[in-house]
Amino acid sequence: MSANHLWKAFFCCAVVFICLVISSTVEALDKEDCLVCHKYRFIGRIDENGKRHYYNVDEHIYGNSLHKNVACNDCHTSISKLPHEPVTEDVNCATECHIRPPFTQQNFSHQKIINIYNESVHGIKPDDPPELKQAKPYCKFCHLNPLYTKAEESRIDFDVTLKRCLNCHQKKGVTQAYIHINHRLRKKTSRSPQEIVKLCSKCHADVALMKKIHAPKDSLDAVETYNRSIHGKSVALGSQTVADCISCHASNALHDIYKKENKKATINEDNLQQTCRQCHAQTNSWFVQIAVHPRVEKEHNPIVYFAGIFFRIMLYGAVFGMIGLMLFETYGRRSRGIKFLLRNGTSWRGKSKIRTKSKKNQED
Amino acid sequence: MSNISQDAAVSVEAPAAEEDYFTYVEGVGAIPRDIYKYVESNPMGDLPRYSVHIVIQHLLVVATFLVLAATGLPVYFADQFWAPYVINVFGGADTARLVHRIAAFTMIFACAYHIVTIIGGTLRKIINREFDYKRTMIPRLKDLLDLYQDIKYFLRLTPYRPKMEKFMYKQKMHYYAIIWGNAVLITAGTALLFPSLMTHLFPDTLGQMISHTLETGGSFPSLFQDLARLMHADEAVMALIVVALWHWSNVHLVPGRFPLQWAFLTGKITREHQIEEHFLEYLNNLKEIPEEREYMKNLLDKSDSIKRE
Repeated sequence: MSANHLWKAFFCCAVVFICLVISSTVEALDKEDCLVCHKYRFIGRIDENGKRHYYNVDEHIYGNSLHKNVACNDCHTSISKLPHEPVTEDVNCATECHIRPPFTQQNFSHQKIINIYNESVHGIKPDDPPELKQAKPYCKFCHLNPLYTKAEESRIDFDVTLKRCLNCHQKKGVTQAYIHINHRLRKKTSRSPQEIVKLCSKCHADVALMKKIHAPKDSLDAVETYNRSIHGKSVALGSQTVADCISCHASNALHDIYKKENKKATINEDNLQQTCRQCHAQTNSWFVQIAVHPRVEKEHNPIVYFAGIFFRIMLYGAVFGMIGLMLFETYGRRSRGIKFLLRNGTSWRGKSKIRTKSKKNQED
Repeated sequence: MSNISQDAAVSVEAPAAEEDYFTYVEGVGAIPRDIYKYVESNPMGDLPRYSVHIVIQHLLVVATFLVLAATGLPVYFADQFWAPYVINVFGGADTARLVHRIAAFTMIFACAYHIVTIIGGTLRKIINREFDYKRTMIPRLKDLLDLYQDIKYFLRLTPYRPKMEKFMYKQKMHYYAIIWGNAVLITAGTALLFPSLMTHLFPDTLGQMISHTLETGGSFPSLFQDLARLMHADEAVMALIVVALWHWSNVHLVPGRFPLQWAFLTGKITREHQIEEHFLEYLNNLKEIPEEREYMKNLLDKSDSIKRE
């Protein structure tokens, strides 16, 4: 046996060993031994109000989630000993964890995007009335850790994708890191348009809630009118390419949603052309006036309203008129003896003889 | 019983004057108006009606119309339970959109083909001095009178149907409905497909002038887009309903045509149909087709001799 074969055998063993080590990453990350208790399926408690809390962490689900490389203690910072005291603090996504992005010396945190978010219409402002404060979504309202769904990939420009990286990373070196970027960053959002519409509709379709928090009048029927538009209909039918809520209402930072009066809003009068141009390259000042959330209202658009009535009348007139004439004609012809089938050369079976011109008349 | 009711019905009708009843054709004889009840007809058609070009155009329109309806309706009725199933037959919303556009361009091609055929054919006839506007789709006052006469016939107030040309009131109505429908669908569809191009086509000053007069309706391009959205869908649904409920039953299911009128494939019309609904065109056929002249002459001679016996 040559040394060559020995080397090959050693190499195979090494590969198998490395695979085994990689497959147990979650347990390896669980340095604080949280899973000692939290691996049990039914771990939990019932609080004073009778509400059930479940504390189980499925290592296989967590190990495949986005935060698989983040140790428990990085986010749950209030826990310092085991067994721990009852947790009273919520997780703060702005906390720095011990993940270090490539080419930086800083620990990672969501602080940058949270700053953008806090400025947006959804961020809680000090002078908000309490019901509005309560209604506003926070990080975990939209983002749950297990975000497994893979967005369908489609090739888009490198520059466009890179813009998203720059939300969190420094430009330096990030281009080299690009090859490591997973499928999520090929599109503006990692969620499908259907999921985005569903997520936003969760609150915005609730007209009673929107009225309660004094949302602008225009936005009350935003979901309904969007679903009536070609964008909404295509999304409802599964399109992956048309505009969803985020496409128009946020920039590449995704969280910078503002009311349209705000100069920073993507749907502000001054920014609309830029926003539409993402898909409609030939956008001009007239184009942005086309209704994206189309309403058909008598007061707003009398011409369209009456055109609709005109077409309705034409429809019923044409259909009932034509079918009526056909039935009437069939009745008339049937009563003169026509049969349905053309058989043996004629549809007029069983009629009397041909009436020809009499001899006398022909001589005249 | 049936005899009595028939007799009663016949007595209501005015007796036909001999001059109206018989049409004398040189070299054939006096043709009675109800001769269509006694002629021999081939279900596949006896007399020429459509050229091969018209047959091809019709087939193109049938195919594209069905594809357009199948890819367009689910979008219009996107909130219905069946819409995703239908759209998935065409490979999902994004592919169906492409299929819809390809079908639309094919239909526009068929329209262009038709226009070329009609203009070319008309020019050829004018040069050969054969052109007769009565044998075309050009609407005339006579069409209205024919409709009036026909209604009287269906009400059993007159004994015979009016003598009509190659294209009767019904066909002219349908033809102009198609022209209107195509104009609306192509214009609106183009506006929907190229919304930004559409806004570039309206000069700023014109747009401003019109929006100023409208005041409430927003700018003119936006109003035009709103109208296009409305008209494209409404006109398409109307065309579909008219074709599905009226056109198909009118050509294939009514007495004498059931179960299928083959003219859309063979381009030929049956003899009894031609004489009943297009009598004046039949007279043209007699002039142009010697075999037909021979056939009608024999038929009349035979019945004449039977009568004399």
